[in-house]
Amino acid sequence: MPQTISIRIDGELVSALQGQTILEAAKQAGKYIPTLCYFEGLSAVGACRLCIVEVAGTDKLLPACTTPVQDGMSVTTTSPKLTQYRRIALELLFVERNHVCAVCVSNGHCELQNLATSLGITNMRHWYNYPNLPVDLSHKRFVLDHNRCILCTRCVRVCAEVEGAHVWEITERGISSRLTSGLNQPWGQVTDCTNCGKCVQVCPTGALAEKGWAVEEMVKQNDNISGLAHRKGGQ
Amino acid sequence: MQTTLQENPDASERAFINQVIASQSDRPGALLGILEAVQEHHPRKYLPMETLRYIAARTGIPPSIVYSVATFYALFNLQPQGENTICVCRGTACHTRGSRNLLETLRLELGFGREDESDEATDSDKLVLTTEDQRFTVRTVACFGQCALAPVVEINHKICSHVNEHTLQRQVRELERESK
Repeated sequence: MPQTISIRIDGELVSALQGQTILEAAKQAGKYIPTLCYFEGLSAVGACRLCIVEVAGTDKLLPACTTPVQDGMSVTTTSPKLTQYRRIALELLFVERNHVCAVCVSNGHCELQNLATSLGITNMRHWYNYPNLPVDLSHKRFVLDHNRCILCTRCVRVCAEVEGAHVWEITERGISSRLTSGLNQPWGQVTDCTNCGKCVQVCPTGALAEKGWAVEEMVKQNDNISGLAHRKGGQ
Repeated sequence: MQTTLQENPDASERAFINQVIASQSDRPGALLGILEAVQEHHPRKYLPMETLRYIAARTGIPPSIVYSVATFYALFNLQPQGENTICVCRGTACHTRGSRNLLETLRLELGFGREDESDEATDSDKLVLTTEDQRFTVRTVACFGQCALAPVVEINHKICSHVNEHTLQRQVRELERESK
Protein backbone atom coordinates (compact mmCIF):
# COMPACT_ATOMS: atom_id res chain seq x y z
CA MET A 1 0.00 0.00 0.00
CA PRO A 2 1.51 3.33 -1.04
CA GLN A 3 2.11 5.87 1.65
CA THR A 4 -0.50 8.58 2.16
CA ILE A 5 0.85 12.11 2.00
CA SER A 6 -0.82 15.48 2.22
CA ILE A 7 -0.50 18.29 -0.27
CA ARG A 8 -2.18 21.63 -0.72
CA ILE A 9 -4.23 22.28 -3.84
CA ASP A 10 -5.37 25.90 -4.14
CA GLY A 11 -4.76 26.29 -0.43
CA GLU A 12 -6.93 23.35 0.53
CA LEU A 13 -5.27 20.48 2.36
CA VAL A 14 -5.92 17.17 0.57
CA SER A 15 -4.47 13.71 0.98
CA ALA A 16 -2.84 11.85 -1.88
CA LEU A 17 -1.02 8.61 -2.41
CA GLN A 18 2.72 8.50 -2.97
CA GLY A 19 3.32 7.95 -6.69
CA GLN A 20 0.16 9.68 -7.83
CA THR A 21 0.43 12.59 -10.22
CA ILE A 22 -0.82 16.05 -9.30
CA LEU A 23 -3.68 15.57 -11.76
CA GLU A 24 -4.81 12.30 -10.17
CA ALA A 25 -4.64 13.80 -6.70
CA ALA A 26 -6.59 16.85 -7.83
CA LYS A 27 -9.27 14.74 -9.51
CA GLN A 28 -9.63 12.67 -6.37
CA ALA A 29 -10.09 15.84 -4.36
CA GLY A 30 -12.69 17.11 -6.81
CA LYS A 31 -10.46 19.83 -8.24
CA TYR A 32 -10.61 20.61 -11.94
CA ILE A 33 -7.48 20.98 -14.05
CA PRO A 34 -8.01 21.40 -17.80
CA THR A 35 -6.47 18.60 -19.90
CA LEU A 36 -6.30 17.76 -23.58
CA CYS A 37 -3.74 15.07 -24.38
CA TYR A 38 -4.38 13.26 -21.09
CA PHE A 39 -6.82 10.38 -21.14
CA GLU A 40 -7.49 8.35 -18.03
CA GLY A 41 -6.05 4.86 -18.33
CA LEU A 42 -3.57 5.74 -21.07
CA SER A 43 0.05 6.68 -20.42
CA ALA A 44 0.53 10.41 -19.87
CA VAL A 45 2.80 12.26 -22.29
CA GLY A 46 2.51 15.86 -21.04
CA ALA A 47 2.42 17.18 -24.59
CA CYS A 48 -0.45 19.68 -24.71
CA ARG A 49 0.65 21.81 -21.72
CA LEU A 50 -2.97 22.58 -20.83
CA CYS A 51 -2.69 20.95 -17.40
CA ILE A 52 0.21 23.16 -16.29
CA VAL A 53 0.05 24.20 -12.65
CA GLU A 54 2.10 26.41 -10.36
CA VAL A 55 4.03 24.62 -7.66
CA ALA A 56 5.36 26.67 -4.74
CA GLY A 57 9.13 26.74 -4.73
CA THR A 58 9.69 26.61 -8.47
CA ASP A 59 9.23 29.26 -11.16
CA LYS A 60 8.54 26.63 -13.79
CA LEU A 61 5.00 25.71 -14.69
CA LEU A 62 4.72 21.94 -14.35
CA PRO A 63 2.36 19.60 -16.22
CA ALA A 64 -0.01 18.07 -13.65
CA CYS A 65 -0.44 14.86 -15.65
CA THR A 66 3.22 13.81 -15.39
CA THR A 67 4.43 15.49 -12.18
CA PRO A 68 4.30 13.17 -9.16
CA VAL A 69 3.04 14.54 -5.86
CA GLN A 70 5.46 15.21 -3.04
CA ASP A 71 4.75 15.56 0.63
CA GLY A 72 3.98 19.14 1.56
CA MET A 73 3.65 20.27 -2.06
CA SER A 74 1.57 23.39 -2.63
CA VAL A 75 -0.17 23.50 -6.00
CA THR A 76 -2.09 26.34 -7.64
CA THR A 77 -4.43 25.26 -10.43
CA THR A 78 -5.83 28.61 -11.52
CA SER A 79 -4.16 31.98 -11.77
CA PRO A 80 -3.96 34.76 -14.36
CA LYS A 81 -0.49 33.49 -15.34
CA LEU A 82 -1.74 29.93 -15.88
CA THR A 83 -4.72 31.15 -17.89
CA GLN A 84 -2.39 33.20 -20.05
CA TYR A 85 -0.11 30.24 -20.78
CA ARG A 86 -3.00 27.85 -21.36
CA ARG A 87 -4.44 30.30 -23.85
CA ILE A 88 -1.12 30.55 -25.67
CA ALA A 89 -0.92 26.75 -25.88
CA LEU A 90 -4.44 26.55 -27.29
CA GLU A 91 -3.97 29.42 -29.72
CA LEU A 92 -0.88 27.79 -31.15
CA LEU A 93 -2.82 24.54 -31.62
CA PHE A 94 -5.55 26.43 -33.45
CA VAL A 95 -3.29 28.32 -35.84
CA GLU A 96 -1.26 25.22 -36.69
CA ARG A 97 -4.07 23.45 -38.59
CA ASN A 98 -7.36 24.36 -40.23
CA HIS A 99 -9.85 24.22 -37.38
CA VAL A 100 -13.12 25.42 -38.85
CA CYS A 101 -15.67 24.66 -36.13
CA ALA A 102 -18.70 25.68 -38.22
CA VAL A 103 -18.26 22.77 -40.64
CA CYS A 104 -16.93 20.17 -38.17
CA VAL A 105 -18.72 16.98 -37.14
CA SER A 106 -17.59 17.59 -33.58
CA ASN A 107 -18.84 21.17 -33.34
CA GLY A 108 -20.32 21.53 -29.87
CA HIS A 109 -18.81 18.28 -28.61
CA CYS A 110 -15.16 19.11 -29.20
CA GLU A 111 -12.71 19.17 -26.30
CA LEU A 112 -10.50 21.68 -28.08
CA GLN A 113 -13.44 23.97 -28.74
CA ASN A 114 -14.79 23.61 -25.19
CA LEU A 115 -11.42 24.48 -23.69
CA ALA A 116 -11.13 27.52 -25.94
CA THR A 117 -14.59 28.64 -24.87
CA SER A 118 -13.86 28.15 -21.18
CA LEU A 119 -10.57 30.05 -21.47
CA GLY A 120 -12.35 32.91 -23.23
CA ILE A 121 -10.59 32.64 -26.58
CA THR A 122 -12.62 34.47 -29.21
CA ASN A 123 -9.96 35.18 -31.80
CA MET A 124 -6.35 34.31 -32.57
CA ARG A 125 -3.52 36.76 -32.06
CA HIS A 126 -1.36 34.98 -34.63
CA TRP A 127 -1.67 34.28 -38.33
CA TYR A 128 -3.11 30.94 -39.27
CA ASN A 129 -0.72 28.54 -40.98
CA TYR A 130 -3.33 27.22 -43.44
CA PRO A 131 -1.38 24.05 -44.22
CA ASN A 132 -2.54 22.06 -47.22
CA LEU A 133 -3.60 18.77 -45.64
CA PRO A 134 -5.36 15.67 -46.93
CA VAL A 135 -8.41 13.84 -45.59
CA ASP A 136 -8.17 10.03 -45.44
CA LEU A 137 -11.51 8.51 -46.40
CA SER A 138 -10.14 5.06 -47.20
CA HIS A 139 -11.49 3.33 -44.10
CA LYS A 140 -14.97 1.97 -44.59
CA ARG A 141 -16.34 3.25 -41.28
CA PHE A 142 -14.08 6.09 -40.18
CA VAL A 143 -12.51 9.31 -41.41
CA LEU A 144 -9.14 10.87 -40.62
CA ASP A 145 -9.07 14.61 -41.22
CA HIS A 146 -5.54 15.94 -40.73
CA ASN A 147 -6.89 19.49 -40.74
CA ARG A 148 -8.43 18.92 -37.32
CA CYS A 149 -5.64 16.86 -35.76
CA ILE A 150 -3.79 18.36 -32.81
CA LEU A 151 -1.22 15.52 -32.53
CA CYS A 152 -2.27 14.74 -28.96
CA THR A 153 -1.40 11.05 -29.65
CA ARG A 154 -4.41 9.76 -27.74
CA CYS A 155 -5.27 7.54 -30.72
CA VAL A 156 -1.66 6.33 -30.93
CA ARG A 157 -1.70 5.36 -27.26
CA VAL A 158 -5.15 3.80 -27.13
CA CYS A 159 -4.35 1.67 -30.18
CA ALA A 160 -0.98 0.56 -28.81
CA GLU A 161 -1.86 0.19 -25.14
CA VAL A 162 -5.46 -0.98 -25.11
CA GLU A 163 -6.19 -2.49 -28.50
CA GLY A 164 -2.62 -3.67 -29.04
CA ALA A 165 -2.68 -3.10 -32.78
CA HIS A 166 -0.40 -0.03 -32.89
CA VAL A 167 -1.78 1.20 -36.18
CA TRP A 168 -1.06 4.87 -35.48
CA GLU A 169 2.19 6.71 -35.06
CA ILE A 170 3.45 10.25 -35.54
CA THR A 171 5.83 10.55 -38.47
CA GLU A 172 8.26 13.28 -39.50
CA ARG A 173 8.88 15.97 -36.91
CA GLY A 174 8.36 19.58 -35.99
CA ILE A 175 5.90 21.43 -38.16
CA SER A 176 5.77 18.51 -40.64
CA SER A 177 4.59 16.02 -37.99
CA ARG A 178 1.63 13.98 -39.16
CA LEU A 179 -0.47 11.20 -37.80
CA THR A 180 0.18 8.16 -39.98
CA SER A 181 -1.37 4.72 -40.13
CA GLY A 182 0.78 1.66 -40.75
CA LEU A 183 3.63 2.17 -43.20
CA ASN A 184 2.20 5.50 -44.37
CA GLN A 185 -0.64 3.58 -46.02
CA PRO A 186 -4.22 4.74 -46.40
CA TRP A 187 -6.02 3.75 -43.20
CA GLY A 188 -8.36 1.39 -45.03
CA GLN A 189 -5.42 -0.62 -46.33
CA VAL A 190 -3.76 -1.20 -42.95
CA THR A 191 -4.36 -4.88 -42.24
CA ASP A 192 -3.38 -4.51 -38.55
CA CYS A 193 -6.40 -2.28 -37.93
CA THR A 194 -9.16 -4.16 -36.13
CA ASN A 195 -11.80 -1.51 -36.94
CA CYS A 196 -12.52 -1.23 -33.21
CA GLY A 197 -12.96 2.54 -33.33
CA LYS A 198 -11.26 3.29 -29.99
CA CYS A 199 -9.03 5.86 -31.65
CA VAL A 200 -12.12 7.60 -33.01
CA GLN A 201 -13.81 7.72 -29.63
CA VAL A 202 -10.80 9.04 -27.71
CA CYS A 203 -9.97 11.71 -30.31
CA PRO A 204 -10.69 15.06 -28.61
CA THR A 205 -11.52 16.81 -31.89
CA GLY A 206 -13.20 15.87 -35.15
CA ALA A 207 -9.93 14.62 -36.64
CA LEU A 208 -11.03 11.02 -36.24
CA ALA A 209 -14.75 10.59 -36.75
CA GLU A 210 -17.31 8.08 -37.83
CA LYS A 211 -18.61 8.32 -41.34
CA GLY A 212 -22.22 9.25 -41.82
CA TRP A 213 -22.48 12.12 -39.34
CA ALA A 214 -23.21 15.67 -40.37
CA VAL A 215 -21.98 18.86 -38.72
CA GLU A 216 -22.35 18.79 -34.90
CA GLU A 217 -23.58 15.19 -34.90
CA MET A 218 -20.49 13.24 -33.87
CA VAL A 219 -20.61 12.71 -30.09
CA LYS A 220 -17.66 10.68 -28.80
CA GLN A 221 -18.51 7.64 -26.69
CA ASN A 222 -15.38 7.11 -24.64
CA ASP A 223 -16.68 6.52 -21.11
CA ASN A 224 -15.90 2.81 -21.18
CA ILE A 225 -12.39 3.09 -22.62
CA SER A 226 -10.72 4.18 -19.37
CA GLY A 227 -12.26 1.19 -17.59
CA LEU A 228 -11.04 -1.08 -20.35
CA ALA A 229 -7.55 0.42 -20.07
CA HIS A 230 -7.51 -0.10 -16.31
CA ARG A 231 -8.41 -3.75 -16.78
CA LYS A 232 -5.54 -4.04 -19.24
CA GLY A 233 -3.24 -2.79 -16.50
CA GLY A 234 -3.05 0.87 -17.51
CA GLN A 235 -2.39 3.67 -15.05
CA MET B 1 1.29 -7.88 -49.35
CA GLN B 2 2.42 -11.47 -49.00
CA THR B 3 3.68 -11.66 -52.58
CA THR B 4 5.75 -8.50 -52.29
CA LEU B 5 7.29 -9.90 -49.13
CA GLN B 6 8.53 -12.83 -51.19
CA GLU B 7 10.04 -10.83 -54.04
CA ASN B 8 11.27 -7.70 -52.41
CA PRO B 9 13.85 -7.32 -50.87
CA ASP B 10 15.69 -10.06 -52.77
CA ALA B 11 17.16 -13.19 -51.17
CA SER B 12 20.65 -11.84 -50.44
CA GLU B 13 19.25 -8.59 -49.07
CA ARG B 14 16.89 -10.55 -46.87
CA ALA B 15 19.74 -12.73 -45.62
CA PHE B 16 21.69 -9.59 -44.71
CA ILE B 17 18.71 -8.08 -42.88
CA ASN B 18 18.14 -11.31 -40.95
CA GLN B 19 21.79 -11.32 -39.94
CA VAL B 20 21.67 -7.70 -38.76
CA ILE B 21 18.51 -8.34 -36.78
CA ALA B 22 20.07 -11.42 -35.18
CA SER B 23 23.22 -9.50 -34.22
CA GLN B 24 21.17 -6.70 -32.61
CA SER B 25 19.06 -9.25 -30.71
CA ASP B 26 16.42 -7.83 -28.39
CA ARG B 27 18.41 -4.85 -27.21
CA PRO B 28 16.09 -1.88 -26.57
CA GLY B 29 16.47 0.67 -29.33
CA ALA B 30 17.79 -2.03 -31.67
CA LEU B 31 15.63 -0.66 -34.48
CA LEU B 32 17.90 2.36 -35.00
CA GLY B 33 20.97 0.19 -35.43
CA ILE B 34 19.14 -2.19 -37.74
CA LEU B 35 17.86 0.61 -39.97
CA GLU B 36 21.28 2.24 -40.11
CA ALA B 37 23.09 -0.99 -41.04
CA VAL B 38 20.50 -1.92 -43.66
CA GLN B 39 20.59 1.54 -45.24
CA GLU B 40 24.39 1.52 -45.31
CA HIS B 41 24.31 -1.89 -47.01
CA HIS B 42 21.99 -0.72 -49.78
CA PRO B 43 23.92 0.39 -52.89
CA ARG B 44 21.72 3.48 -53.19
CA LYS B 45 21.93 4.27 -49.45
CA TYR B 46 18.22 4.24 -48.78
CA LEU B 47 15.45 2.20 -47.19
CA PRO B 48 12.86 1.03 -49.70
CA MET B 49 9.31 0.65 -48.39
CA GLU B 50 9.45 -3.12 -48.86
CA THR B 51 12.59 -3.28 -46.75
CA LEU B 52 10.84 -1.39 -43.94
CA ARG B 53 7.92 -3.81 -44.19
CA TYR B 54 10.28 -6.76 -44.07
CA ILE B 55 12.14 -5.39 -41.02
CA ALA B 56 8.82 -4.83 -39.24
CA ALA B 57 7.70 -8.37 -40.01
CA ARG B 58 11.00 -9.93 -38.91
CA THR B 59 11.43 -7.96 -35.69
CA GLY B 60 7.78 -7.89 -34.68
CA ILE B 61 7.98 -4.11 -34.27
CA PRO B 62 4.73 -2.50 -35.52
CA PRO B 63 5.17 -1.10 -39.06
CA SER B 64 3.94 2.29 -37.85
CA ILE B 65 6.86 2.55 -35.40
CA VAL B 66 9.38 1.50 -38.06
CA TYR B 67 8.05 4.16 -40.42
CA SER B 68 7.91 6.74 -37.63
CA VAL B 69 11.55 6.19 -36.68
CA ALA B 70 12.67 6.18 -40.31
CA THR B 71 11.00 9.54 -40.97
CA PHE B 72 11.95 11.20 -37.68
CA TYR B 73 15.70 10.95 -38.17
CA ALA B 74 17.23 12.94 -41.02
CA LEU B 75 19.86 10.19 -41.28
CA PHE B 76 17.43 7.81 -42.95
CA ASN B 77 16.50 8.15 -46.60
CA LEU B 78 13.31 6.76 -48.07
CA GLN B 79 14.35 7.81 -51.58
CA PRO B 80 17.34 6.49 -53.56
CA GLN B 81 20.38 8.72 -53.10
CA GLY B 82 22.67 9.97 -55.86
CA GLU B 83 26.26 8.77 -56.31
CA ASN B 84 27.58 12.01 -54.85
CA THR B 85 26.09 13.73 -51.85
CA ILE B 86 26.50 17.44 -51.30
CA CYS B 87 25.30 18.72 -47.98
CA VAL B 88 24.88 22.45 -47.44
CA CYS B 89 24.81 23.78 -43.89
CA ARG B 90 21.85 26.08 -43.28
CA GLY B 91 22.75 26.92 -39.70
CA THR B 92 22.80 30.51 -38.48
CA ALA B 93 26.55 31.08 -38.83
CA CYS B 94 26.64 29.61 -42.33
CA HIS B 95 23.50 31.51 -43.28
CA THR B 96 25.03 34.83 -42.34
CA ARG B 97 28.09 33.90 -44.38
CA GLY B 98 25.94 33.27 -47.45
CA SER B 99 24.97 29.60 -47.46
CA ARG B 100 21.67 30.42 -49.14
CA ASN B 101 23.59 31.60 -52.20
CA LEU B 102 25.61 28.38 -52.13
CA LEU B 103 22.44 26.35 -52.15
CA GLU B 104 21.09 28.49 -54.97
CA THR B 105 24.30 27.96 -56.94
CA LEU B 106 24.01 24.21 -56.48
CA ARG B 107 20.38 24.20 -57.51
CA LEU B 108 21.14 26.05 -60.70
CA GLU B 109 24.34 24.12 -61.42
CA LEU B 110 22.57 20.76 -61.11
CA GLY B 111 19.40 21.89 -62.83
CA PHE B 112 16.86 21.92 -59.98
CA GLY B 113 15.69 25.46 -60.68
CA ARG B 114 15.36 28.27 -58.20
CA GLU B 115 13.90 27.40 -54.84
CA ASP B 116 10.71 29.46 -55.05
CA GLU B 117 9.81 27.82 -58.36
CA SER B 118 9.68 24.23 -57.17
CA ASP B 119 8.61 22.85 -53.80
CA GLU B 120 6.91 24.89 -51.13
CA ALA B 121 8.98 23.63 -48.19
CA THR B 122 11.90 25.82 -49.15
CA ASP B 123 13.50 26.69 -45.86
CA SER B 124 12.73 23.41 -44.15
CA ASP B 125 15.67 21.76 -42.42
CA LYS B 126 15.24 18.59 -44.42
CA LEU B 127 15.63 19.49 -48.07
CA VAL B 128 16.71 16.52 -50.19
CA LEU B 129 17.00 16.79 -53.97
CA THR B 130 18.38 14.14 -56.30
CA THR B 131 19.18 14.78 -59.96
CA GLU B 132 17.28 12.78 -62.56
CA ASP B 133 20.45 11.00 -63.68
CA GLN B 134 20.94 9.89 -60.05
CA ARG B 135 24.44 11.32 -59.90
CA PHE B 136 23.96 14.07 -57.34
CA THR B 137 21.97 14.49 -54.17
CA VAL B 138 21.78 17.92 -52.58
CA ARG B 139 20.63 18.14 -48.99
CA THR B 140 20.60 20.68 -46.21
CA VAL B 141 21.54 20.23 -42.60
CA ALA B 142 20.77 22.40 -39.57
CA CYS B 143 24.38 22.61 -38.35
CA PHE B 144 27.65 20.68 -38.71
CA GLY B 145 29.10 22.17 -35.56
CA GLN B 146 31.88 23.73 -37.62
CA CYS B 147 30.62 27.28 -37.37
CA ALA B 148 34.11 28.81 -37.23
CA LEU B 149 34.65 27.49 -40.77
CA ALA B 150 31.40 28.97 -42.11
CA PRO B 151 30.04 28.61 -44.67
CA VAL B 152 30.48 24.86 -44.65
CA VAL B 153 29.55 22.37 -47.36
CA GLU B 154 30.04 18.64 -46.99
CA ILE B 155 30.90 16.87 -50.24
CA ASN B 156 30.86 13.08 -50.07
CA HIS B 157 31.42 13.14 -46.30
CA LYS B 158 34.32 15.60 -46.55
CA ILE B 159 33.86 18.97 -44.89
CA CYS B 160 34.85 21.93 -47.05
CA SER B 161 35.30 25.18 -45.17
CA HIS B 162 34.93 28.83 -46.18
CA VAL B 163 33.21 27.77 -49.37
CA ASN B 164 32.27 30.37 -51.93
CA GLU B 165 30.25 30.03 -55.10
CA HIS B 166 33.38 29.69 -57.26
CA THR B 167 35.02 26.89 -55.29
CA LEU B 168 31.72 25.08 -54.97
CA GLN B 169 31.12 25.27 -58.71
CA ARG B 170 34.63 24.00 -59.35
CA GLN B 171 34.17 21.04 -56.97
CA VAL B 172 30.86 20.07 -58.54
CA ARG B 173 32.30 20.20 -62.06
CA GLU B 174 35.23 18.10 -60.94
CA LEU B 175 32.85 15.49 -59.57
CA GLU B 176 30.84 15.61 -62.77
CA ARG B 177 33.97 14.85 -64.79
CA GLU B 178 35.07 12.06 -62.43
CA SER B 179 31.79 10.21 -62.38
CA LYS B 180 31.33 10.37 -66.14
